[in-house]
Amino acid sequence: MNKSKKVMPWVHMVILGVIGIVFLSPLVWMMFSSLKTTTEVFSTSFKLLPNIPQWHNYVFVWQESEISMLRAYGNTIFITVFGTVVQLLISSLAAYAFAKIRFKGKNFVFFLFLSTMMVPVEVTILPRFTLFNTIGLYNNLWAVILPHWFSATSIFMLRQFYMGLPDDLMEAAKIDGATHPTIFMRVMLPLTRTALVSLMVLAIVSCWNEYLSPLIFLVNTKLYTVSQTIRWYMLDDLQRYELVMAAATSAIVPILILFIASQKSFVEGIATSGVKG
Amino acid sequence: MQRTYSQLQRKENLAGWAFVTPALVCFLVLTAFPFFLSLFLSFTKWNFLSGWDHIKIIGLRNFMDLLKDKRFGQALINTFIYAVSTVPISIIISLLLAYALNGKVRGRNVLRLGFFIPYICSAVALGAVFKSLFREDGIINMVLVNMHILDMPLKWMVEPSLCKIPIIMLIIYTSIGYEMIIYMAALQNVPTSLYEAATIDGAGSAQKLWYVTMPMISPTTFYLVIVRLIAVFKVFSSVNIMTMGSPAINNTSMVNEIYEQGFVKYKFGYASAEAMVLFVIILVITLINFAGQKKWVHY
Repeated sequence: MNKSKKVMPWVHMVILGVIGIVFLSPLVWMMFSSLKTTTEVFSTSFKLLPNIPQWHNYVFVWQESEISMLRAYGNTIFITVFGTVVQLLISSLAAYAFAKIRFKGKNFVFFLFLSTMMVPVEVTILPRFTLFNTIGLYNNLWAVILPHWFSATSIFMLRQFYMGLPDDLMEAAKIDGATHPTIFMRVMLPLTRTALVSLMVLAIVSCWNEYLSPLIFLVNTKLYTVSQTIRWYMLDDLQRYELVMAAATSAIVPILILFIASQKSFVEGIATSGVKG
Repeated sequence: MQRTYSQLQRKENLAGWAFVTPALVCFLVLTAFPFFLSLFLSFTKWNFLSGWDHIKIIGLRNFMDLLKDKRFGQALINTFIYAVSTVPISIIISLLLAYALNGKVRGRNVLRLGFFIPYICSAVALGAVFKSLFREDGIINMVLVNMHILDMPLKWMVEPSLCKIPIIMLIIYTSIGYEMIIYMAALQNVPTSLYEAATIDGAGSAQKLWYVTMPMISPTTFYLVIVRLIAVFKVFSSVNIMTMGSPAINNTSMVNEIYEQGFVKYKFGYASAEAMVLFVIILVITLINFAGQKKWVHY
């Protein structure tokens, strides 16, 4: 009995470990395939490791080719930075108003925002295309950035967070003659840092991985995002799967690094946005 | 005194509206206006390339045509199949994983990290990987043939009876991480005293899962079912990338059809009608959520 109690946790861990390795094997396969030659990728004698690592696959995807991953990174980073930062700023302002300011029409506006939870982006993409096309945003990175600026989820999560902050803080500042902009900037906003970090990581991931919107708006290959670059290599007639895998690896690695660096806030962000609904 | 109060209130109103204005403007321009325009377009016949002048109001004709449209009907069925297959399977797997990782498990954090990774990876990148794995000369076939489960390599993406399977696998693969994290958070809220009581009553691990854990986390399960159903009804990237942008009738999804009609054929009126069907489905799921929350959420 005593012995089995000591052995059990190890058995447990080994089984879970094996499941974990199987689970991640597609990603491992992707990384090794990105270093193979075209014939090696689908060779019948299966070998996980490449004979000679073909690092120039990455050089090709990043520089030599018509579509460079370097430029795609630049475009995607641009979209991600402006999509994320402005979204958090706009959401913070609205969340503060909903939580801390008693103004006429608050409930009405809040209800309007709540209702957007039922309207997925996919439903409004056609008119948005017409709209952006009319104002000259076709083939323009801002067409992909702007829709990120309104996020009902961010507003609700931040509102919850602001509601948890004591009103006394605000009253004290008010007595000192501070107005809402000052209270927001000096007192409240700095206190929401943990929530902001969680939301930021989630917003970065969603901007970075976005596909439908760039596919529709960005037709000029110079404006391609990381996702579109992967697609481009897949559609290429030469069917060089090692280049597809190099592109896919390039797309995933920064998100992995971000995730590992911010695992705690990441998991917290998802869990808090999830459990309470 | 009365006057100063109303002055104060006016100041509050002004500040409140000033703070919500940026969000309100974005909401109106990016969501509300496009939504009503979409509703309007669904009653019109309009090719985007012909310009605004050639818009023609045709009433409900798009919706009548949709009823007769075999491809859209099949896309609707396919999307339902994606939803009812991936949601239960992924939820069961994630619950088991979360349950196994609950408590003091060695290497818990590393394992959690590992299982979570696919969720944050680009669907396009993973789609590219799965597409390669499921090729006729890909690894899946190689392994199955070597293990004598198959006599011949299968054409996963081509055979009408098989071509949904790789997509279903991909959707399950990408959703497990998210569901597991939510379950792990929920499991921590189950009081350990309940498990202790069950242990005293002689319950084993499986019995505890079934009789203690499952009822305690039912609100989470309900939430996950709703969130995942909505997500799968909107599936686009996985299907688009795995079919190289031209899905077959047997694996296309609703959003892929909207994309096809709208951005390949530029039939904006017809595509908007399809988008409205999707909207109604998601609306119904959301309403079920509101109704169900009252019954299910008991804390």
